[in-house]
Amino acid sequence: MSALTLEQEKVLKAWAARYPAPIMGLVEALRQVQRWHRCVTDEDEEYLARLFDVPRVRIHEVATFFPSFTQKPTGRHRIGICRGLSCSLAGSQSMCSCLEKKLGIKEGASTPDGRFSLETMECLGACEQGPALMVNDELKGAATEESISHLLEELE
Amino acid sequence: MTKLLTAHFDEPKLHELETYRRLGGYEGLKKALAMGREALMAEMGKSNLRGLGGAGFGAAMKWSTVPPESKNPGPRYVVANCDESEPGCFKDRVLVTRNPHQLIEGLLIAAFAIDAYRAFIFIRGEYEVQYKILEKALDEARAAGLIGACSIDLMRGAGAYISGLDTALLETMEGKKAWPRQPPPFPTAAGLMGRPTVVNNVETLCMAPHIVLHGGDWFVKLGTPKSGGTVLFSVSGHVADPGVYEFPMGTPLKDILTAAGGVRGGKKLKAVIPGGVSTPVMTSDELDTPMDFEGPRAKGTFLGAGGVIVLDETVDMVMVAHNIERFLSHESCGQCTPCRQGSFWHERILERALSGGGTAEDLVALERAGENITGQVICALGDTVGVVTRALMKKFPEDFKSRFPERRG
Amino acid sequence: MAKTIKFSLDGRHLSALEGETVLEAAERSGVRIPHYCWHKALGNPGNCRMCVVEVEGTTKLQVSCRLLAREGLVIRSVTSAARRAQASALELHLLDHPLDCPVCDQSGECGLQDYYMDIGRYPSAMREDKAHAGKSIPLGPHIMLDQERCIMCTRCTRFTSQVSKSHELGIFGRGHSQVVDVVPGRTLDNPYSGNLADVCPVGALTDRDFRFQVRVWYLDETESVCPGCSRGCAIFAHTSTRRPWHNKGRRLARLKPRYDSDVNGHWMCDAGRYGFADFDSDRLGKVMRLKPAAAELSWEAAQREVAAALRRKSAEGLAVVASGALSNEDWKAFKSLFVDTLKASRFLFSPEPDQVGVEDELLRRREKVPNLEGGKTLGFGTQIQSMSWDGLAKDIGAGKVWGLYVVDRDPVKVWGEKGRKLLERLDLLVYQGPCKGLSGDLAHYRLPAAAWLEEEGHFINFQGHVQGYRQALKPLGAAKPDWEIFAGMEKDARV
Repeated sequence: MSALTLEQEKVLKAWAARYPAPIMGLVEALRQVQRWHRCVTDEDEEYLARLFDVPRVRIHEVATFFPSFTQKPTGRHRIGICRGLSCSLAGSQSMCSCLEKKLGIKEGASTPDGRFSLETMECLGACEQGPALMVNDELKGAATEESISHLLEELE
Repeated sequence: MTKLLTAHFDEPKLHELETYRRLGGYEGLKKALAMGREALMAEMGKSNLRGLGGAGFGAAMKWSTVPPESKNPGPRYVVANCDESEPGCFKDRVLVTRNPHQLIEGLLIAAFAIDAYRAFIFIRGEYEVQYKILEKALDEARAAGLIGACSIDLMRGAGAYISGLDTALLETMEGKKAWPRQPPPFPTAAGLMGRPTVVNNVETLCMAPHIVLHGGDWFVKLGTPKSGGTVLFSVSGHVADPGVYEFPMGTPLKDILTAAGGVRGGKKLKAVIPGGVSTPVMTSDELDTPMDFEGPRAKGTFLGAGGVIVLDETVDMVMVAHNIERFLSHESCGQCTPCRQGSFWHERILERALSGGGTAEDLVALERAGENITGQVICALGDTVGVVTRALMKKFPEDFKSRFPERRG
Repeated sequence: MAKTIKFSLDGRHLSALEGETVLEAAERSGVRIPHYCWHKALGNPGNCRMCVVEVEGTTKLQVSCRLLAREGLVIRSVTSAARRAQASALELHLLDHPLDCPVCDQSGECGLQDYYMDIGRYPSAMREDKAHAGKSIPLGPHIMLDQERCIMCTRCTRFTSQVSKSHELGIFGRGHSQVVDVVPGRTLDNPYSGNLADVCPVGALTDRDFRFQVRVWYLDETESVCPGCSRGCAIFAHTSTRRPWHNKGRRLARLKPRYDSDVNGHWMCDAGRYGFADFDSDRLGKVMRLKPAAAELSWEAAQREVAAALRRKSAEGLAVVASGALSNEDWKAFKSLFVDTLKASRFLFSPEPDQVGVEDELLRRREKVPNLEGGKTLGFGTQIQSMSWDGLAKDIGAGKVWGLYVVDRDPVKVWGEKGRKLLERLDLLVYQGPCKGLSGDLAHYRLPAAAWLEEEGHFINFQGHVQGYRQALKPLGAAKPDWEIFAGMEKDARV
């Protein structure tokens, strides 16, 4: 895992300066770090604890509470499939199996080349377009076997 | 039929300031500023606008509990809650996508009402597209001088349903894990960073400009005596045309289903979840229920956040119960024991039943455990653990009997 | 005076102070409402939901740890509705609990066991496989974690954030898969870590020293005072004598803090808690003349011989080394013998440098002896000044001191090897103490004193509080309290 660059530290410092209290920028800063490192490392947490001037335990509690943050690197492309009730009714489970088959991994894992990781997610707020997919923070509605094939090809 | 929030949804460029203003946008704010705080509060009070995030708490009542600057000097905040995460609810996403300025205008009116100079839109992290739409809309509004002395900032969540609960949302904003607080004090007395804070749902705030423009009396007459105005329903599941539908408060459930094209594929209706997965199901006998805050209550359920999920005759209600309890178990913040353990227990019992291992005595355990969780927890998420399962057990005993058979021998 | 509020709980009339919750007021009055998360010193997060009560006039049950006592409030905690809710919360706490009581050190003093017997006693309806988590995780030198037994009451994390302020512990993850643990890469080694085993109401955090040593129901409890520093924390001594083969044969099983609002609150430091683990090692049990002509003596004979030896030469050349570990009773007899009767002129009782150490803002004090104040009330430190170890060494070296009486202090430890030579120059060395130390073998007379747990007495702490401690154990062998030795000798020392 690479350490933070000076440029990156600057971005994080901007989050710490944006809201009425520095610590209010923590969740956004963690989102940023997760995007850069595809996980939040011990080193990142130590840096954020210093930046926000709070005990490390607080950072680790937040980083392990929210599902957006991981302690182990996700794939370069993080694919989530919604398992909420509406999406389940629309067949999210068979979409998940389809993705598992195409990627050759089980839900919760990453491909050996680090290109994809697959996870099931709770409601993505796109119930009318089920089964909903989430690809790198972007919502994709109404997944079909075909659309999934196209999608995977597009993602490097 | 009167539509307020979705009135101009056929305008392709409604999300742009120019279009929004051409259609009367920001006139409500202008009028609010001109009429002054007291008149504004009076109008909001008359409107009977109630919190549309699910709780139904009177919006004007909430605003009025913020102590005046003279009694509690220092900053106060307004937060638009756009952390929509309840399965079946997606209307806030649609509102922000199609008409971001309506939210900004409503937020500015709320800020003026409680004398706040700093406002936030807290949006779930998965709504990245909507985040960008709001960013752009805020830039436009700022450039046009519409935001004035009040600043509006965006903040994103990180994938936890519980962040949508007001006090857990404040904890998230303060860079903590989203463990709900236990009032008192209520956020309006001590909220964000200990300062008086109003947290309102996106839809609630979007109503404000319309109330200001047309008056509280007009608004209340659109709906029912106790629930003013209109309400958005997110309709999904087994319907022909899933989507967001706006109706006056008190519209019968069947009209909403009809608007969404009815049950898909010529199947028969089995049940409807009226307000998102934390609200007990209604059966096909209950389609005349007027959908406002009171109607569903009389049937033992809630309007919730208007997340209507339609279930056709093919659906196994044990699967539905499992899906919902698994959701609650996954999203339980872990703070209080009855919710943390109770939801997980529900999930496991139902999961075992789905794979063929259920017995009749499990139903007794579900019933008893569930009854002892509701009311014994810290927050509203915990209060819903087991509620939907018990309603399903009561209304669809056959589904449960076949998954939880009497043990022989 | 704060206003008092009257309310009733299960028909009893209780009074609460303003701002007090129903649970706090009940506890203060000795009425028990089941609870886990609330702790007087750690706040009321209200997460365990055990303390639910009925409030007359309201329909919903409420948690009494967050219910402010109000005038006229009528509370019921033992009705069937309240009991059902409490038992249900208990059932959910126990749902995934491993029920490994037979191998759990908390057994016998466990909140889960106690409440199950009080208000539970339901047949288990749990048919799922129990969730598993980490077992036997050593968090630091003193504390062992069992994540499966944890009920998430957060007392421990509140302790490390609010009391020790060391921030090692957190609750990581979310919902049913969350666990208590130390921050990655850290060790739970703050100077107060032992308290975590006390605040944990179940067997999740246990004391490594106490692990598998003895069952708590075989222990005897005695009120005592920690002799580890001038704070004098109120403690309980838990001793194990009924099953001598337990606890590796040691008589002292553990020390626990005893609540004292003025002195130590609920806590004690690790140095005190674990500093006396080897209480019984290196102990003296025989009254000995070592030279000339080594022989075991009776107390009568020893007192006679030593008294005579002390008067053999001028009082001018007699030096006495004492320590702030003496009780008030000891100090009084000490003064009577050495100042009033023998008129000795050289005294050493300053704690420097062998009885001083780390100090902090919570409890620990620099002077690592409990009763310098007791000596001070009799003039030691005011009318009578302490000489320094260097000064004493110089005087022995210069032949100015012929006789030295050492009470529970170890000159060789202070002076090092050169100390042996100095001590060998003396015409008379009397060594009195519970342990032999490095100097014990060099004495002409070696007198076994009872240790603090073997006698009763009083200490005065640095704040001036006079605190009594009781006898927990019988003295080993012939050992007797210091004051009794001094008093017996004084008879013979008077002309």
